[in-house]
Amino acid sequence: MNLYSLYMKLFVASANAAEMSLWERMKPPVDISTNGFRIDHLFALTTYLILFFFVLVCIGLFGFSYLYRYKKHPKPLYVHGTSKKHIAVVAAIGALVFIVIDMQITGISNRDYMEHFNKWPKETDDIVRVEVLGQQWAWNFRYAGKDGVFNTEDDIVTLNDLRLPVGKKIVFQISAKDVIHSFSLPNTRQKIDAMPGRIHKMWVELTQPGVYEIVCAQICGTFHYRMKAQMTVYSKEDFDKWQDEMQKRTSFIAEKDSADLYWGWKWIANN
Amino acid sequence: MAFFEQHIHDEPKTFLSKYVFSFDHKVIGKQFLWYGIAFLGIGGMMALLIRWTLAFPGEPFPVIGQFLFPQTGGVVPPDTYAMLFTLHGTIMIFYAITPILIGAFGNFCIPLMIGARDMVFPTLNMLSFWLAFVSAILLLASLFTPLGGAAGGWVSYPTLSTLIGSPGVGQTLWCLALFVLGVSSTMGAVNYIATIITLRAPGMGYFDMPLTIWGLWLTAILNAIFLPVLGAGLLLLTFDRVFGTTFFLAGAAATSGSGDPVLFQHVFWIFGHPEVYILILPAWGIVSDLLSFFARKPAFGAKATALAMTMITILSTVVYGHHMYTTQMSPLLTQSFMMLTMTISIPSSVFFANWLGTIWKGSLRFQTPMLFALGVVFVFGLGGLTGLYLATVSTDLYLHDTYFVVGHFHYTMAASVLLGGFAATYFWFPKMFGRMMNETLGKIHFWISMLGLNGVFMGMMIVGYAGMHRRIYNPFVYDFLQKLIPINTFITISAITMGGAQIFFVINFIYSMYKGPKADQNPWGVGTLEWTIPSPAPHYNFAEIPVVKCGPHELGNPGLKNGRDFQYQTEELVECNS
Repeated sequence: MNLYSLYMKLFVASANAAEMSLWERMKPPVDISTNGFRIDHLFALTTYLILFFFVLVCIGLFGFSYLYRYKKHPKPLYVHGTSKKHIAVVAAIGALVFIVIDMQITGISNRDYMEHFNKWPKETDDIVRVEVLGQQWAWNFRYAGKDGVFNTEDDIVTLNDLRLPVGKKIVFQISAKDVIHSFSLPNTRQKIDAMPGRIHKMWVELTQPGVYEIVCAQICGTFHYRMKAQMTVYSKEDFDKWQDEMQKRTSFIAEKDSADLYWGWKWIANN
Repeated sequence: MAFFEQHIHDEPKTFLSKYVFSFDHKVIGKQFLWYGIAFLGIGGMMALLIRWTLAFPGEPFPVIGQFLFPQTGGVVPPDTYAMLFTLHGTIMIFYAITPILIGAFGNFCIPLMIGARDMVFPTLNMLSFWLAFVSAILLLASLFTPLGGAAGGWVSYPTLSTLIGSPGVGQTLWCLALFVLGVSSTMGAVNYIATIITLRAPGMGYFDMPLTIWGLWLTAILNAIFLPVLGAGLLLLTFDRVFGTTFFLAGAAATSGSGDPVLFQHVFWIFGHPEVYILILPAWGIVSDLLSFFARKPAFGAKATALAMTMITILSTVVYGHHMYTTQMSPLLTQSFMMLTMTISIPSSVFFANWLGTIWKGSLRFQTPMLFALGVVFVFGLGGLTGLYLATVSTDLYLHDTYFVVGHFHYTMAASVLLGGFAATYFWFPKMFGRMMNETLGKIHFWISMLGLNGVFMGMMIVGYAGMHRRIYNPFVYDFLQKLIPINTFITISAITMGGAQIFFVINFIYSMYKGPKADQNPWGVGTLEWTIPSPAPHYNFAEIPVVKCGPHELGNPGLKNGRDFQYQTEELVECNS
């Protein structure tokens, strides 16, 4: 029975493979953020640079192995590689790798990090603020509600259900209740650890409405793999509509004085 | 050079003093080799269980699944899965690779290659093995505790590794096991450092040491400095678990006062990054030597290679922050760690240039050790270069904690180190057991392993880039990962292939030990000191302490007139008059 089901699995898997090319399968999830392309670009650039050097290594490795095999090249060259010429070649290779790959990608990455990913939107801008609390094994989300203040009675609180608008900067403040989690949005190419006792932050701006998945990227216990939340991206109008509806519902919550409802914190201004 | 007289004691007569509680570095080296190979088997089996679960979620593991997990009918349950990847990491790093590369070949090669009769501190050496044994018992015992072994990942970040995340006694035993192992490795490291400094044969300067010894020496230095850091961290973690302190507790876990979980990550990675180099440095040294020996030509820029290894050793201590980009350190720290990490590629490219320089215009013999050494150059090229994606902070935001990371560090730590270890095993087997290993089986072992491991680790990088996260029991609960099922199946098949290839090694190893053709004193035609004595190496190695007169890589000198194409380190360097 084991082997049979295994064969079936393999057969089914290969049938699936026909529908989608390997190239399609290897692609990362669709990018729906304004900055995700920077990461994709840097990844591609690094790949080209690396391939160039790896091909050089392979040419050396396989080429020399072929050319200087014992049968063809019985008399080895007696050099220690200590002449000025040899040292210069080795030093040049080191410098070349550093200048051609390292300086390039470090420069780009540094620019992206400082000028985009780590450059926080102004509090005075029209931003969406969300507090995120990871717990074993779910994501809690909190919107400030109409008073704009967190941890009050009119907050909109959801479980594993994040709803966001396109075209607005969204700032998350992220923490965790019990163990370390990692708030990962593969569709925006970003993740930040959620740690008990700390408030981390992340910002994104989304471009495409739709339904996407949120992942916990840091091992957090047995059901880590099920710590999945849903991110629904709306147009601005739909988002406002949803928010209004949620706002109405919050007034019906019975246990307004239950301490469990107030896991949020006072929003920490960036600037 | 030797700082003191090395006496020859009588050969031990009883079984216990000869094979069990032996002071002889060669016996201790073999003990570590058996220990490491046994754990390599256990860790490899765990890897197969993990791979099976990822490729066929919900399917019972064939044959032994029914016995291991009778409650679920042979399917790996999620909590066991977490335990499996935790122990796979722990076992492979601390109980397989460390004993094989450092424990076995460190012990075996250091005195032989520097012309000493034994280690400086033979008792410490014996203690080091037996503490490692105690540690193994603690680790294996943790599997039989009520809630099972540690399941917080090999990094065991608090607060998951504190009582709130893993209440079982298994995690405490894990901490203690690693602490004891840390003590054991530190003992070994201190011994290696002292031996290399004080017991080098007369005439042997530091640059006359084979590069293997350089690698082992630098590794020992890193071990001696950084394992105590891990020990301190684990001790604090144990206090948090057992005595109710709150060094690393915060949030709901902290009942009184509050610590900081990030503190543990800093402590862990201050040790953890050098640990990567602790594992790879011996392999680099071995490869640098073997390429020269089998290309029949001096190691290209041997001094530069040694200095580059030293440079990496130093740099490895100041780059650990790149493991923590997603913990939102201050941007200044992030930038600094990114820049420092990048500088590591300079000495790394020096190696590659020198390795390729060594085989350039050589006369290459593709015996098994050489194949494995060339394999290291290939897989370490891939592993090293893919590190660049993870060193730049913005790409790391996406790739952190995905299978891309897993693929990358398996290329560097598993593939390179394992191939290096196999190269060493095939190469020094004659000196260890006095017999040769079978070449054909060795070559089959190499090619199938190479095929399998590239399938596994390349596949891991591919699924990682496609978004699959680490340590996930069933990735396919996520819709966007559904498409990765066939690739995961492919990885698992490759893993089984790789595991299957090791059967050839085990057969070859055991068969050759008893039935292999007798090895002569110097089967590879190499001039380092261990090949000047009979195979297997006799009790107390050198009847007469050798005097070193030339470097370890004197091969292919056209001035040699005695019919050999190499010269022993004990011979005066022949004038090259071509």
